[in-house]
Amino acid sequence: MAPNEILALAMFASFIVLVFTGFPVAWILGGLAVLFTAIAVVIDVDCGVPIGMDWAYTSLTVDRTWNVMENWVMVALPMFILMGLLLDRSGIANQLMLSFARLFGRLRGGLAVTVAIIGLLLAASTGIIGASVVLLALLGLPVMLDNGYDKSLAAGTVCAVGTLGILIPPSIMLVLMADRMSMSVGDLFLGAVFPGALLGILYILYILIYAWLRPSVAPAAEVEPFNFEAVVQLFLAILPPAFLILAVLGSIFFGIATPTEAAGVGAAGAMLLATVKRRLSFAVMRDVLRETTRTTAFIFAVLIGATAFSLVLRGLGGDELIERVLLNLPFGPNGILICILAATFLLGFFLDWIELTLIILPLVSPVVVNLGFDPVWFTVLFAVCLQTSFLTPPVGFAIFYLKGVAPPEIDVMTIYRGVTPFIILQILGLIIIFKWQALVTWLPAQAYG
Amino acid sequence: MELPDTRLSRLIDPLLIRIGEAISWLWLLLMITIVGNVVLRYAFGEGRVEFEEIQWHIYACGFLLGLAYAYQADSHIRVDVLHERLTVRTRAWIELYGTLLFVLPFIAVILIFGVPFVTASFHMGEVSQAPGGLPLRWIIKAALPIGFGLLLIAAIARLSRVCTLLFLTPEDPRGAE
Repeated sequence: MAPNEILALAMFASFIVLVFTGFPVAWILGGLAVLFTAIAVVIDVDCGVPIGMDWAYTSLTVDRTWNVMENWVMVALPMFILMGLLLDRSGIANQLMLSFARLFGRLRGGLAVTVAIIGLLLAASTGIIGASVVLLALLGLPVMLDNGYDKSLAAGTVCAVGTLGILIPPSIMLVLMADRMSMSVGDLFLGAVFPGALLGILYILYILIYAWLRPSVAPAAEVEPFNFEAVVQLFLAILPPAFLILAVLGSIFFGIATPTEAAGVGAAGAMLLATVKRRLSFAVMRDVLRETTRTTAFIFAVLIGATAFSLVLRGLGGDELIERVLLNLPFGPNGILICILAATFLLGFFLDWIELTLIILPLVSPVVVNLGFDPVWFTVLFAVCLQTSFLTPPVGFAIFYLKGVAPPEIDVMTIYRGVTPFIILQILGLIIIFKWQALVTWLPAQAYG
Repeated sequence: MELPDTRLSRLIDPLLIRIGEAISWLWLLLMITIVGNVVLRYAFGEGRVEFEEIQWHIYACGFLLGLAYAYQADSHIRVDVLHERLTVRTRAWIELYGTLLFVLPFIAVILIFGVPFVTASFHMGEVSQAPGGLPLRWIIKAALPIGFGLLLIAAIARLSRVCTLLFLTPEDPRGAE
């Protein structure tokens, strides 16, 4: 193995180890880029071993960051964050919970199904995982627990459904992925619609079957009868989020607006909703805007750090190394793809979506595309893997977020037990999407009139 | 992590917070600009290049000037499997070495190469290549070193707090948090 490749491996290994110190990932990435440039330059100049790295190369980080700054598509990211946070505060979720509980409450497992449906609706209108898990936990957990639902099932449902927000468009993860893959955000959004819905349906089927087999885990709840008044209420509750989803996704689908414009208009729509519901005050707006700054800046800090890291890793020949390793696997193209997805799934136990999207995706995607796979299809498969990474202990952020707001009787083990069946459903979903590629590719092909 | 305040951090942190809070309003401005541009395009049938450029100018300012604010608020996701089991002092040591070995060198590289990047643009009199684009490109380019300059100040303030905890605060004999 050449000296530069040993450095590339050492750099990657250092990253994995250092992540566990709990130091912010953005700075670990950026710092390692600088550190390994220094090491490469010292070995090159002082030891006479040619590495082919110098500071001028690493200085390209500045140019790459500039490319991020002038990237108009990425403007969508803070706008989707703003839209999600505003929807969170608008109170539409409370209304959805009340009306859907009246519709499904009598059914065994009905309250869990209600949480799943609200999660799906919110997922399609927001793109921030922490926000949806916290919101669903605050709304849905007390109701389910009061009605004698099994704690694991209740916790698992909230976690799993909350993560769908990261997959179902509009999603900030998909915006970042499209950027890294140099593909159209619109295509990726549309490609993820059916896979996201498929996972939601799998969740609901599982809840219904489980509740039917073991009535004690999810008993029927006492709710007000479902009469005409309830129908009107339900309609009024669904209308605003449904309108927003149609406006954002529809305008992208029909080519009326770019994702950036859809994001800006979506944020304005969410603001209008919150105003109509009388939830928007100056203080709320101020808090939401500050939260947007912190979330956006945090994501871009990781983005800039990862840009430097990837640049140096590539300079050390890391991408050729990965390509050689992957192509030398004793499998056909499908086997290689499965290996990549399995590795991503396993890495998801330790890393989270931002690092995997920014570091791993650009490393493996050229190989996958060269093997002749559809890039959008592959990216959606990758996205489902990353969505699962939110649920997998020990580093599952959905679990952390839930633990933060759940009542004390729900301990970490209860949550782990609760998410396990949903992780299995995720794998099932992955297999289905793998088998039926059209689930992803059909909708983008119909788009743009 | 609870860090003691220092005279330096009491001076710097409120300033950074105020800057962060002020630039947060940029997102509202950005939203209005996007909606305005969409309306303009459908009302008058033409998109304006200036408006699209203004959008990414606002966004770039927002995330770069927000870096120090997010850093100060410590809103970075940490992988805290091990982290939450460590004592405060161990975490502070990690913070000290992390800041010295990773944060500061990275900021240094961005500043060392970022400042000439801006001055070169200034001396060239660089303007947008798009027809009807915005002039004075160096101003928006300057957001990069300014953002990282603020981050440097935030890192120094944090470093002072970490050092105070490690070297000036007597160790809690119980070793408790």
